Amino acid sequence: MPVVELSYSNLQKLVGKVTKKQISDSLPFLGLDIESEDKDLVRIEYSPNRPDYSTSFGIALGLQGLLEIKSGAIKLNIKKSHKYKISVKPSVSKIRPFVTGIIAKNGKIDDKIIKQFMTMQEDLHFGIGRKRKKSSIGMHDLDKITFPLVYTTTNRNHKFVPLNSDSEISVSEILNTINVGKEYGSLLGNSSQIPIILDANQKTVSFPPIINANVTTVTTKTKNLFVEVTGINKEDAEDMLSVIATILQSAGFTLENVQIFGLKNSSPKFKEKKISIDPNLANQTLGLELSMSKIISSLKKSRLNAVTKGKNIICTIPAYRFDIFGPMDLVEEIALGYGIQNLEPIFSPSQTIGQTNSVSNKLKSLDQIMIGLGYLEALNSSLTSKRVLYDVTGRGPSKILSVLDSKSQEHTILRNSILPGLLENLSRNIHESYPQKLFETGNVFSLNDPISEKINFSGISTHKDANFTEIKSILQSALKIGFGIDLETKTFSDPLFEEGRCATVVVDGKHVGVIGELSSKVIENYKIQSKVVGFEISLSDFFFKSF
Amino acid sequence: MSQVFHDIEKKIISSLKNNPKQTPASLEESTNLSSDQIRRGIEWLKHKELAIVDESKTSVVSLGKNGIESLQKGLPERRLLNFLKDGPKKLSEIQKDLGYIFGPAMGLARKNNWIKSSSEKISLQNFPSELPGEKTIKKIGNEKISINEIDKNDLLGLLKRPDFIIEDVITTKEITLTDSAKLLEISNASGAIDVEAKVPQVFVARTHPLKDTIDEIREIFVTLGFSEIIGNMTQSSFWNFDALFTPQDHPARELQDTFYLDGISAKKIANSEQIKKVSESHKKNWRYHWDVNEARKMVLRTHTTCVTIKHLADNKPDEARVFSLGRVFRNEKVSYKHLVEFNQIEGVVVGKDATLRNLMGIQREFYKRIGITKIKFWPTFFPYTEPSLQTMVYNERLGKWIELFGMGIFRPEVTKPLGISKPVLAWGGGIERIAMLKYELDDVREFYNNNLNWLRSTTKCQ
Repeated sequence: MPVVELSYSNLQKLVGKVTKKQISDSLPFLGLDIESEDKDLVRIEYSPNRPDYSTSFGIALGLQGLLEIKSGAIKLNIKKSHKYKISVKPSVSKIRPFVTGIIAKNGKIDDKIIKQFMTMQEDLHFGIGRKRKKSSIGMHDLDKITFPLVYTTTNRNHKFVPLNSDSEISVSEILNTINVGKEYGSLLGNSSQIPIILDANQKTVSFPPIINANVTTVTTKTKNLFVEVTGINKEDAEDMLSVIATILQSAGFTLENVQIFGLKNSSPKFKEKKISIDPNLANQTLGLELSMSKIISSLKKSRLNAVTKGKNIICTIPAYRFDIFGPMDLVEEIALGYGIQNLEPIFSPSQTIGQTNSVSNKLKSLDQIMIGLGYLEALNSSLTSKRVLYDVTGRGPSKILSVLDSKSQEHTILRNSILPGLLENLSRNIHESYPQKLFETGNVFSLNDPISEKINFSGISTHKDANFTEIKSILQSALKIGFGIDLETKTFSDPLFEEGRCATVVVDGKHVGVIGELSSKVIENYKIQSKVVGFEISLSDFFFKSF
Repeated sequence: MSQVFHDIEKKIISSLKNNPKQTPASLEESTNLSSDQIRRGIEWLKHKELAIVDESKTSVVSLGKNGIESLQKGLPERRLLNFLKDGPKKLSEIQKDLGYIFGPAMGLARKNNWIKSSSEKISLQNFPSELPGEKTIKKIGNEKISINEIDKNDLLGLLKRPDFIIEDVITTKEITLTDSAKLLEISNASGAIDVEAKVPQVFVARTHPLKDTIDEIREIFVTLGFSEIIGNMTQSSFWNFDALFTPQDHPARELQDTFYLDGISAKKIANSEQIKKVSESHKKNWRYHWDVNEARKMVLRTHTTCVTIKHLADNKPDEARVFSLGRVFRNEKVSYKHLVEFNQIEGVVVGKDATLRNLMGIQREFYKRIGITKIKFWPTFFPYTEPSLQTMVYNERLGKWIELFGMGIFRPEVTKPLGISKPVLAWGGGIERIAMLKYELDDVREFYNNNLNWLRSTTKCQ
């Protein structure tokens, strides 16, 4: 979950007449978790579906609603203007066909606000922008740009001074040497042409979705902003822009529209959505009996507009709330406006009878039997390593099931056997008192169109007198007394076990596993001081069927 | 009240009554007990204030390598004098006879004027009957002798010579009975034993502590009317993500959070109707190109929800309470609070009781049964539920609110394409977090270390 760092005093100024305590008490009921506090500073964790909460301005709008200082939907006031035009050239159609934008004037910008805008931009890029693939933002100092602009393509030799740089470099160099270029360059594919926004003087404004030009950098001296969003999909680009427009207006900027022509582009409309909701759906879902007016006031507290129409409620949703898909999302808005703290839990006994799964039942019985036989249960990860499964055990690697790009070296392949893990456990307990007896049941995996998962059962015992007879007696008793299953052992050979001290376990004529004295070489590899005996059988083939 | 003594204690007391001042060694001899038994017996008696142990340190000496050689063959200088007894000898002859002791022997004999040199030969000048140090070497012999029994002046010369004398300090214990012990009547008549004595620790075989918590939680779900369903840990992306309305281009599906199985795709993921409807829902709501091959990619399940949703999609019950419990996987760095593989439980309620307040009531009852009474609910976000809540529980030991289970109502975008018409309420979360509270652990890795010391000694949670 993303985190934003804000100050209480700033929030108080934005929200209106509220105390710090009112704010900290209300934040969780907006769905915002306070991660940490330090005097005036507060770090807030917000949900990825609410990018408007990435700034204090957005959070203040939510708090105003919940604390009943201001309610209802936020309306964007956009001044009609003909000064700002972007024309789109057909060549962008195959690369990044859409652009949209907004002008924001006469705002006050300090370092903290710049930082907040950056956080918002990063959040939008990551979430709805899908790491800039779907849509991306460029925020510019309006006064450094001469309109009209053109959104077109150019080749990779095109040169300009990119953000945070003082010399002109080519697009190819940007993609090969600058971090953002290396990170997002692949979004442009192999095309020789790349998207570019140029101003009326042919000066580069932005190279979407990679980097802005240095000349338009927003600083604390900036008063007027131009924000462009480019993307592969018009609706997503406009959704993104609507969040930015809402936040800029709340931050005190005056908005003016940008006219966009060419290809399938048009000026952004920030169209509100209307969704009808049946009050019964809300009441049945939440377990409440709210009146129409209570539902309407709850929606307004969630910064939406609502009116009755017949038996239903028509809800008006501002463009930036694109997290709202349908009536069920409005039920949540009603619950939030009503206040989650006001929902009293009710408990009514179940009409259904619960039961555990038969597999769990049988495994539990097996646990009990093994405890009775003096064995302690171990639990190991099913995602393990080549070292544990093969390197130390001398087992020949079969078709290995690996995961891609694991962050942990000890967890890279799925186990096809439990016993190596138990051996590893013994090796980490050589200083504890003996005898040591462990067992484990769990899933093992093998390649089989695509993957077969079976449940295996393994036991291991180590002490100075450990021998084949002991371990066979244990397995025999566990299966016979626990489950009425008879077993036989037949001479076998396995790299994990000592030659001549190893057998295959046979149940109903079928080979189900191995048993024996562990090979002295393996024991030595693990630096275990005394003899080790063990077994591993597959339960899936016979154990659960006999139920 | 008459005191009961261990056999060892009785034997030691009796022996000390006969012979009031003894060392552990003499007690060993008189009682026929092993040194370990004597050591323990003395400890017990000391603890009961029946015996006094006086420890004293004594310096002792024994012979070193050269001392032992001198004991057998005589001191180097004695051997020189003996060799010269039957007449003067050439230097080379002496050197041949004495070998490596030639140097020290000649030095000492010259210094003390026992020999004289004339032209090429060495002859005897004086033949003392006892040389300095000879008395001491004889006295020590092959023993360790207290330094007090030895002539200090005679010893001094030997101490300066290499490897003749080894000095040591030994601790000797002298055991005596206290006055009250002297009055004790020791009798074997009752056959009573010391029932108050400490006994050795034995280890119980047991289920894993985490498994106990898992079983306890499973049991509570069952008593709340939920039936258990099971499913595979390896799942197609379709059931792990697509069926749960997580778009294919969503960052949550990327490698950094999810374990994808290298090069493995499922041939059959769902029936054609399910695939068609799910893909349509994605295209309509998320506006992107849905790719069936992406849905085929096999992953290690990131939640147990894939098992419950498939069960509901295949059975479409009008009323049901089912749950799924098992291992889930996240590609994260392992730390004291994160594991790559952990247990999760998730229950769903379908039917007329399926209201949010009811689900909150089930949660409250669940927490009450695991001993947590201070809880509250906060709104939160899950990609496949709406509305969504999380439970916060107060932990006294940590002195703070902790996030535990999440809950919510499956989005219509999840249920409708799969033909599930009734509202579905889901709740659940990680089990290790609850187990950590129960076992007062601050490091979640402890559950999978299989540290025998911990497994054997941790008190079983009820």
